[in-house]
This record gives sequence, structure tokens and C-alpha cells, in this order.
Amino acid sequence: MSRLQAEHLYKVFGRRPDDAVRKLENGATRDELRAEGTTAAVIDASFTVDEGQIFVVMGLSGSGKSTLLRMLNGLLEPTAGSVRFDGQDLTTLSPKELRRVRSQKISMVFQHFALFPHRSVLENAAYGLEVQGVPKAERQKRAHEALELAGLKGWEKSWPDELSGGMQQRVGLARALATDADLLLMDESFSALDPLIRRDMQDQLLELQKTLKKTIVFITHDLNEAMRLGDRIAVMRDGRIVQNGSAEDILVRPSNDYVASFIQDVDRTRVLTAGAIMTDVASVLGSKDADGTEISTAEQFRAAAPATVTKDTPLVDLFAPCSASAVPVAVADAAGELIGAVPAQKLLAALGEPEPQAQDAVAAVPAQPAPEDKKPVATDEAAEDAASEDTDGKDADESKVIAGA
Amino acid sequence: MPRIEIGTWAAAAVKWLQSNVDWLFGFITHVLNAVYGFFHMVLAAPEPLFLAGILAVLAWWLRGFLAAALTFLGFALIDSIEQWDTTMESLSLVLVACLVIVVISVPLGIWAARNRAVSGAVRPVLDLMQTMPAMVYLIPGILFFGLGVVPGIVATIVFAMPPAVRMTELGIRQVDAELVEAADAFGTHPRRTLFRVQIPLALPTIMAGINQVIMLALSMVVIAGMVGGGGLGSSVYDAISSVDVGLGTEAGLAVVILAMYLDRMTGALNQRVSPLGRRALAKAQAALGGLKFLQWRPATSLAMTGVVVLALAAGGMNAFGSKGSDAAAGIGDGRQINLGYVNWDEGKATTYLWKELLEQRGFKPKAQALEAGALYTGQAQGDIDVQTNSWLPVTHESYWKKYKDKLEDYGAWYDKTSLEIAVPSYVKGVKTLDDLKGKGKEFGGKIVGIEPGAGEMKIVKDKVLKDYGLDGEYKLQQSSTSSMLAELDRSIKAKKPVAVTLWSPHWAYSKHKLTKLKDPKGSFGSGDGIHALGRKGFAKDEPQVASWMKNFHLDEKQLTSLEAAIQDAGKGHEQDGVRAWLKKNPGMADKLAPAAGSYAKGKDAGAAPNIGYPSWDEGIATSFLWKYVLEQRGYKPKMRNLDVGPMWTGLSTGQVDVEMDAWLPVAQKQYWDKYKKDLVDLGAWYDKTSLEIAVPSYVKGVKTMDDLRKHKDEFKGKIIGIEPGTGEMKRLKSKVLPAYGLQNMKVTEAGTSAMLAELERAIGKKEPIAVVLWSPHWAYDKYPLTKLKDPKGTWGANNQIKTVANKSFPKKYGEFNDWLKNWHMKPDELASLEAAINEAGTGHEEEGVKKWVDAHPGIVDEMAPVK
Repeated sequence: MSRLQAEHLYKVFGRRPDDAVRKLENGATRDELRAEGTTAAVIDASFTVDEGQIFVVMGLSGSGKSTLLRMLNGLLEPTAGSVRFDGQDLTTLSPKELRRVRSQKISMVFQHFALFPHRSVLENAAYGLEVQGVPKAERQKRAHEALELAGLKGWEKSWPDELSGGMQQRVGLARALATDADLLLMDESFSALDPLIRRDMQDQLLELQKTLKKTIVFITHDLNEAMRLGDRIAVMRDGRIVQNGSAEDILVRPSNDYVASFIQDVDRTRVLTAGAIMTDVASVLGSKDADGTEISTAEQFRAAAPATVTKDTPLVDLFAPCSASAVPVAVADAAGELIGAVPAQKLLAALGEPEPQAQDAVAAVPAQPAPEDKKPVATDEAAEDAASEDTDGKDADESKVIAGA
Repeated sequence: MPRIEIGTWAAAAVKWLQSNVDWLFGFITHVLNAVYGFFHMVLAAPEPLFLAGILAVLAWWLRGFLAAALTFLGFALIDSIEQWDTTMESLSLVLVACLVIVVISVPLGIWAARNRAVSGAVRPVLDLMQTMPAMVYLIPGILFFGLGVVPGIVATIVFAMPPAVRMTELGIRQVDAELVEAADAFGTHPRRTLFRVQIPLALPTIMAGINQVIMLALSMVVIAGMVGGGGLGSSVYDAISSVDVGLGTEAGLAVVILAMYLDRMTGALNQRVSPLGRRALAKAQAALGGLKFLQWRPATSLAMTGVVVLALAAGGMNAFGSKGSDAAAGIGDGRQINLGYVNWDEGKATTYLWKELLEQRGFKPKAQALEAGALYTGQAQGDIDVQTNSWLPVTHESYWKKYKDKLEDYGAWYDKTSLEIAVPSYVKGVKTLDDLKGKGKEFGGKIVGIEPGAGEMKIVKDKVLKDYGLDGEYKLQQSSTSSMLAELDRSIKAKKPVAVTLWSPHWAYSKHKLTKLKDPKGSFGSGDGIHALGRKGFAKDEPQVASWMKNFHLDEKQLTSLEAAIQDAGKGHEQDGVRAWLKKNPGMADKLAPAAGSYAKGKDAGAAPNIGYPSWDEGIATSFLWKYVLEQRGYKPKMRNLDVGPMWTGLSTGQVDVEMDAWLPVAQKQYWDKYKKDLVDLGAWYDKTSLEIAVPSYVKGVKTMDDLRKHKDEFKGKIIGIEPGTGEMKRLKSKVLPAYGLQNMKVTEAGTSAMLAELERAIGKKEPIAVVLWSPHWAYDKYPLTKLKDPKGTWGANNQIKTVANKSFPKKYGEFNDWLKNWHMKPDELASLEAAINEAGTGHEEEGVKKWVDAHPGIVDEMAPVK
């Protein structure tokens, strides 16, 4: 079920923004508008986010991702388009109704934490509840719980400036969680932290998400982070969403040179999973094991395989077993049923750079080895269209720019 | 370039504001005065050292022990240099101004921070407020707010407000945008964001702004002193205008101590009021370690307890200390008289002389030194009642010309003045103005003058220099009186030649050896007289004081000896000097301010006659007059207000002993006929009564009842009548109107008071109106009215107003009976008495009577002679 839908969102800063939207719809480019003194921050962004999903918006600075995020909770009013949350169009709400939605259903975590320096950790965590008008005793109790969830038990009486950056952001997270909002907007929330702590926080977010099942929109410029966290990832460039898909989609089937160049430094072995590259069990049958015995049944394959992994196992964990045996690694589902095999050649092939794919290739991506709880890539046609249009128009010179950079 | 008449417009705007928004200025003045009064009452109440203690405890709380000790020493020093009272006045002024500033500027700053247009509009206004010289708006300020502390507060507000607005705007803008966004993202209402996030975080900056405000406010204190703001400003101004270095230093030092205290305390207050400040404070203390003892500060609750205990102790001491010291007695009855003077010796001497005399007579006089412009403007506004220091017709000509409509001249009390150019006696060979010629080099080619607006300057420039051919050789240098005196002092110390414009009498002649240059050509003209001036209406309000002023006269010997006595007593003890002088001149006080003295008791003192009176003006007036007179004679009269019928009944039964308002033989004939066997007629005290229709004099061409008929339509066919049952109304309808063919005019039947109200309204609008009236009536005194002639005599014979008593009265109250029999009043006396009572207002009849009696010295003896 999709909880959050953005449809044809535009945000233009400057004079006569409506005119600018019309021009953009008629094919004007961002640079043409800039010459007129208006800035198109977000252009025709559409996507949906399902319940319990982490939706990552990734892009370099200036790509419009923060602007996009702020339109989702009405901090910025879209110039055109609509935002639906639980079927309610946020763009039509009065300021008062909008404030109510924000205080009860949507919370936000900021890049630089945005903790109130004149409030203690506990008071900060309880802020959202205070706005809701929750009585003091209850809001303190709930703030305590939220802080405990965020791993800050015992720090309630401290002041924000006495905490390290990571701990401060935990307070920010606790503040967002305390209100029990269903939608969590995270604006480069871990970008200001040093790498080790960032990893910790990512792990903790994933851990929390297992139990809390929030709907999360996460903004980042860090591709590794996007790949780690995102159930789905939208890549933004110059205000447009250029690709919207799962981590594998982005890695394996980048929609254009820009995305491709973006992903070239990613540690693919940690992002790609066994499920993404496995072949059918049938392809193994008929081959021989190390002793020369022919493998004719699935059970034989399981016994002969150097290891049995799940489809979520990252490739990095497959190298050791693969190198120990000629027999492919077996892949089983949660019930122990064999569902595929990863032969060594396939593993090596996956490490290579993928070529950017033509439009038809993207459109034709089959719902192939997608993880069980993820929707097929092709659900969001609008986003696909937008992305592919982009590929048509500007790819040639963009790739040059990136190659030259 | 075309001349853009900004000055004219500004003057017109001030005039317009003065006449149209006066109520607003009145309101502001009232509020500021009240708030200032409250602050001053609180600050001036405790003993100085107690208050110093309270301030020290506050310092301890805010900054620590050392600050507390220094605070106590500083304020003790202020007390020791006798600047305590003025310091408290200044402190009150600063506090009131700052309070108003905070109330206005913080919201304004917040608004400017949130709205770019407001910010843009406010900025040039703030620039204007900060840089426009204060004197420019201070003098118009007097026109609006009167003299005294209020224009000082207003000027301080104008000057000191900008930093508070600017810093508030800055502080709010500086709050991290992400924090505001965070608040927003959690659905916080903008107002809550403002109060819970932006203001707390901006507070350190806002407090820095307020700290600046306080310092700027203190720097304005001196300017405020020049317009009667009192406080340290007055001391400083006093010191400047008499070149008194000692006093100037002391007053200046007090300003500095006050400024340092306020600066340090508001700086530290920041740490106490803002959450961030409190945290920084806690950190600093934690870091200090071993030396904590010195840094220990009382907790807020403890400090407040200390302050309250000290304040209560101080208040208690005060309550027990000074009791009944100011029981006002005598003619003045504790009424306040405001005396103003320019700080010249003769002005100061005579002002303090009158201050002492008025105090002896039971007034509560207040003396304040003012800059000349402020003095005249203030007096024209009515803030100063009397000044004794007006040099006319020359020196103060410009002021007199401008304000003479708003002032009363009580004549010159001294006429031996002269204007002259003076040189030190050591300059040889210069005795007359002619001698100056050719010596321009010696004198540096200049004559040191005084304020450019002074009359003397004009004479020197236009006449003296020309007449003696000094025109090209000497330049008349504009400065101020105090600068001129300082320059004179400096030159004499250096034994250099100097020529100054001076006048006699002046203390400079007794301080230095100077030669007044002779003026053989008479260019300076005859000297000024020194006049006493009252504000318009003062003679009416305080007839006794005005008559003393009119008869005031001092000769040269008296004046110089008075000035010397005051000099001997020293600064701040002027009144002691006056007392010493009065002691040396016995009888002087009674000669200058003759008191009516206490009245001898009558023979029947203690008797309590019942006086009845109707609610008619002449009845009220005369009955209360007699009540007053009887009380002076030791009687204890009782007053009863009765309707006509009950009055006559009461007289006949003896419940009422006497009444003074019997209209006979016509109007109340019926009652007289009915009760005359129980009554005695004590005779008529007034016989010029008449009944009539009256119209305002501005209704042209209506002089007689016949004219009324011709101009009927102008009056909308209406005559405003009084109570329907009265004899006059009956007579009007039955006899008067038919005789003049006016039956078709409508006579409204309202009460007397409604008729008078309608009359006042119509006169205010200059509408034609015809009213039923009678003489005597105070309305004739108040408005220009025409009594319509009654050629046909339809109103009938004139009444007399008689005194009628119960027949037992002559025996019971023989003395009173005799007085009444001989009593008589003239029309103008009655009219002015009624007007005085009317002005005092209902319930205050006795005050009106008293005022009238004061203006008619001897009237008690005339009405009720005792042997």
C-alpha cells in the first residue's frame, strides 16, 4: 500500500513561478530559466513510497533533494503538483491543518541536528509531544522511551552541547520517534557525522526499522549510504529524478551515464546480494562436484555446495566459499528451500562495470531476482518516464562533463 | 532652487497636533507622570543607606561579593556628596524611560525581523531618532507635554530606543534558521516558535541592546534637566550655568556611579534571565574550583528575601521617622505653586525668597531652574505658575512677544537694571564705550556675548557697535551666558583684556573687579525692569498670591543683601540663606505677603443656626458664603438643602432658622402671605433682580422681545425653558408670550441644569438660542448674553432677594441677625461668587467660596463685623 505519493511536483524560486512551470512543461531547460532570474529547484518529481519502506533520495548538493523533502511536509509549498499522504492532499490544507499533520503524523531529522540549545536532552526529545499538548508526565515518559530506543538512556539531564555529534543526532532521532509519527523525513541526517559513527547510526536505523516499520524518506548525497539503507532509491540531478529503482537496479542497470558515473566507486560486493545474481538451481544440475560425481538433484547440490546462503547475503561473503570449490554456492529461502545458485563466473561478472542501458532496456527490466518484499521496478511509470526523457535529452554532454571531472 | 518650506510645515504640524491631539498628549503625560511618580516614591522612600544596601544585595546576587561591596561604597558616596535625591530622581527617570522603551522596541524589533518592509521603514526612523539633536524636539516637546519630567522621559525614549529595536531585530534574525525550521517541522505555531525558541535564543542579544539603552538614557539625563526633568541633570545644568566646577564634578560623578552600576547589573542580568546565560554561569562556577568562596552568590530566592527584608525595614523606619511634619496650614492649604527661574542670581534669590514666604503661608511651592526658552514655553503651557525673573522690555523681549497672550504681567519689582559692556578694571584707560575704539587688537577684535537670542545681543549688534563706530573693529561673539562667564574668569586669571556683554545686577560684579563702560550716547536705552510674571489665569486661581506679586518690590540694598545671604548659605541651602535674611529684616515677611490672619470669634461663637437653601445658584452661593463667614467667627452653622415649599414650611415651624433666597414681593408671594405671621423679614440684600429671555450676544439684531418675534425662525421657533412649575415659566406663558404675539413659539420644559447645558452647547457651536433666564445668574458672567428688553413690562415688577427668618431668630442669634440686616451684595460680587462656586464644582462649594473670599480681602470683617 502506498502511503506517500508525490505527483508532478515543481518548486520554482523567483518571480512569477507559475509562468516558469508552464515553460518547463513546454520543454524549457533549467538554464534558460536561470537566465531569467528564476531557479527551478525541483522539476516534475513523481514517486510513491510504500508503508514501512525506506525511500532514499540521492543527489549531489544543489540537485533539489532537500527542497523536495521540504515539500513533503509542507515546509515549502509546491509551485505545482500535489503531495498525498494517507490519501490526504497536503497542498490543499490550511496552515492550521498542516501544522496538525506535522505535529502528529510527520516528523523530521535534520542534517545539523537542530537541537534546541536552551533545552535539556529530555526536553528536546519531548518537544514534539509538547507541541501536541501531551501532559508533562506522559511526554516525559515517552521521551524517556524514545531516548532509550535511540541508545541514550542516562543522558536525559545533559545539554545538547555536552554530547558528541553522533549522540546529538540520536537525540534528534529520539525527538522524531517520540511523537509516534508514521512518516519520518531525514535530511542528510548522518552526513555531518564521521564515517564510523555514520555506520553505527545506519545500523541502528535499520535495526529500529525492523521493529518500528516507519515510512521513511531519507535524503543523502552518499551512494553507499543510499545503497545500505534504501529499499528504493531515487537519483536526482538538476531538479529532476533521473532514476528510481532498487539498489540493484541502480547498480546493475543505471539509466544513464550520470548514474553510471555516480555508482562507479561503490563497493558492489557489499551492495549486491546473492539474490541479485543467482541462477536457477536447474542450471547446476548435470554438472559435476569436486569428486567428479554428477549432481542430479537439488539435494545433491545442497550437499555438494561449499556454502548455503540467503538471497540477502552480500556478494562479499560469497568469495571465500566460491574459491574453495568448483560447485556453485547454494541459495536458500527462509524456509530452507533451495531457490538458486551462484557460480564463480557469475560472481566475477557482477564485479564488472555495467554499461548504461538504453531506454528500452530499462523499460524491459523484468521483475527478475528482486527481493521478496520489494515491489517490481516498473511500478512507478511516471518516474520511469521522467528518467528516460532525461536520458534522451542531455545524456551526451552530461557524461562528458562527468568524464572530464 | 525653490525654497522648500520644511520649517513652516513642521511649525504648522506642531500647531495642528497641539490643537487637535491634545487629549492624547494629555493622556501620555498623565500616564508617564504616574509611572514616574510610582518609581520615584519607591526609590525615594527608604533611607539612602538602606537602599544602597538593597542595591548591594542585588549586585551580590547578580555578580558577586566584590560588586556588592563596590555598589554599597558607590551609593554611600553619592549620599555623602548630597546628590542622593537627585540621583534617585534620575534613576526613576531612566527606569521609566527604559520600561517604555522595552515595551515598544522589543515587539517592534521582532516585527522588523519578520517583515522586510517594516525593517526597511523602521531603519531611517531610528537613524532620525538617534541623530536629531535633542533640543530640536525638546522645546516642542514642552508644548505637548508641559514642563517637568515628562518631556525629559520622552526625549530619553526617542534618543535611547534605537539600539533596542536594532538588537532585537538582529537577535531574532541570528537564531539558527534550522532551529526555526525544526520547530516548524514539528507543527509549532509561529507565535509559540517566537516565544519558546526565537526569543529565548535571541535574549542575550536583546539584553545587550537594553544595556545600551540604559547607558544612552543616562546620557540624556543632563538634557532632561534643562527642561525641568529634575535629577542629576538639574544639578549639572545648575553647575554649568553658574560655572560651579565643584558641583559639576559631584553631579557628574554621581551620573558615572549610577551608569556603572546599571551597566554591570544589566550585563549580569543577562546571565540570570536567559537559559543560555544561566548555563554559561554554572559552567564558569564549576570551573573555578577553590576560589568559590569569593564567587559565592546568594540564590535568587535568598537574594529576594534579603531585598524584601531590607525594603520592609527601610519602609518601617520611614513610617516611624517622619510623621506629621507637613501639616499644611494657613492660606495656602497645601496647594502647590510652581516657581520657575533662569539661574541668574536675582532670579534665584527672589524665587527662594518667595518659596520660603509661600511655605510660611501654607502653600507647597516648588522651585525649578530652567533654561530661559524652556521657562517661558513652560509657563505659557501653564506648568510654571510664577517667575520673578523676567527682564522687560528688552532682554526677554522675544519671549514676551511670543507668549504675552498666555502670561500675566504683575509689574516690575526692581527697576534699577542696566545693560552694558564690561571690562576688567585692570584694563587701563577704558572707561566708556568710546574708549574701546582703536583698541580692537588688545581685545582680540571681539566682544564676548551671550545667547544669540538675547535682547542685549541685538542691541549691541544693531545699535551700540554702530553708534560708537566699533563695527569693523569688533566682532560680537555668540556664545552662552555660562561660556561668557567662563571666558571672563579665564581672562582675568591670565590678566588679559577682555570685553563682555553684561548686565546689572549680576554677581560677576561682586566676584571680579569690573568696569561698566559708560554709554554717553545712550545706545543701550533705559534699563529693563525685572518683572514678575504669572501664567494666564493664575491671578484667578490664586488671587492672594497674585496680589502679593503685584505689590512685590525690593530695592537695591535689599536685593544685594538677599543675594549675599544666599551666597553665604552655600549651594543647596538657599532657603537657609533666605531665612537668615528674613530674620535680619523683621516684618519683611508680613510686608511682602500679608496674611489675613485668624479671625476673631463672634459673640455667639459656638451657636449652630440652621440655614436652609434652595438649589438655585444665588441661594447656594450666599448660603455657603455665610457658612464660611460664620465658621470664621466660630459658629457651627448647619446647612439644609430644601425645595421652596418645604423651606417656607420649615421656616414657619422653626426647623429652619433662616434662608437668604426669598424672592419677594412677587415670585414667592404666596408663601410669604401664608406664613408671614411666623416669620421675620431681615431685609433685601439684593434688589437688581429681573426675569427675562436671554440670547447669546453673537445673535445680531435681537435686542428686545419684539426682535425675537422677527427672528423666530433663526431660533427654530423654540425657547429653552426651565422647570414647568416655576413662577417664571407660568408668567412667560400666561403674560409675556401673548403680549408679544409669540404664542406659537414652543417653550421646552426642561430643568434649569438642562437649560444651561443646552446654552453651553449652542454657544460652543455658535448657534442661535433663546433661553429663559433671570438675573442675577452666573451665566451672564460666563457667556456674553443679551437680556431681551421687555418694553411692555410684561415680566412685572422686579423682585428683591431677601433674607427671611423664623420669628424667634432675632432673639436666638442676635449677632447673626444684625449682620444679616446690614448685609448687601453688588451684582458683580454675586456673579463672581457664583462663578467661583460653579468652577469649583458640585460638592466643592466651600473651596469656591474660600477662593472668592481670598480674592476679596476684608470681606469677612465687612459682612460680620466684631468689636
